[in-house]
Amino acid sequence: MNKSITITLPGEIKFVRFASQTAASVATLLISENIPESEGTQFVHDFELAICEAFTNSVKHAVKRDTLQMLTITFEFEPRQLTVCLRDTNGPFTIETPTPEITDYPPGGYGLMIIRKVMDGVTCHRDGDSNILRMSKSL
Amino acid sequence: MIITETSKGDIAILAPDGKLDHDSAPEIRQNRSIIDPDKMVVIDLEKVDFIDDSGLGAIICALRNKRNANGVTVLSGMNHRLRIIFEITNIHKLFNIFDDVAPTIEYLETRQIERT
Repeated sequence: MNKSITITLPGEIKFVRFASQTAASVATLLISENIPESEGTQFVHDFELAICEAFTNSVKHAVKRDTLQMLTITFEFEPRQLTVCLRDTNGPFTIETPTPEITDYPPGGYGLMIIRKVMDGVTCHRDGDSNILRMSKSL
Repeated sequence: MIITETSKGDIAILAPDGKLDHDSAPEIRQNRSIIDPDKMVVIDLEKVDFIDDSGLGAIICALRNKRNANGVTVLSGMNHRLRIIFEITNIHKLFNIFDDVAPTIEYLETRQIERT
């Protein structure tokens, strides 16, 4: 049977570390059941980073709209795969954002690029008035 | 985040320790040696175990500040995980990156001599 864990957090920047460290803990739990921990450190780090970027993006876009929302994170376990879904109520967006032009030295905007690179699969779809960003990675 | 700062002449060596993220990035952005146009800066990332978009942004701001003042920012000591993040975002192309602090300082001292 597959398992899942869901947490809901205020969409505030002070909860980014809590969200990303929770992701790291959940990823650690999965690898502890499958592979030696020393071989899974990159996997754990990648989930910590992906949730950090995704949560930060959701908060920043809500701040632009001057709204405070609750963000829901669901971790779905499969035997050798972890999927994390982040639900927010921001406006629609696409994950196919252009790569920042590095020669302009942009001091940000790398979040989605990082998520796409460190995860195996990333999708975003609209569910009513919510976005669901789905990120998965296999061991 | 703790940032240990040492100096050698006009070279400031900043060694942040911990996570370089949204919480800690302002400490890099607002660091006096980064703002000071007369300082060359080494950011020693050896003890940084995590960097996100905000942390990358802080390091790019340091680079921009220095370049606008004809100054220099170089990086040293980043671990494999950080290097991957720099490479997938192409930010590594903006910097001179050294494995250790010692050759970094040698490089900057050479540049200092060339400038005088």
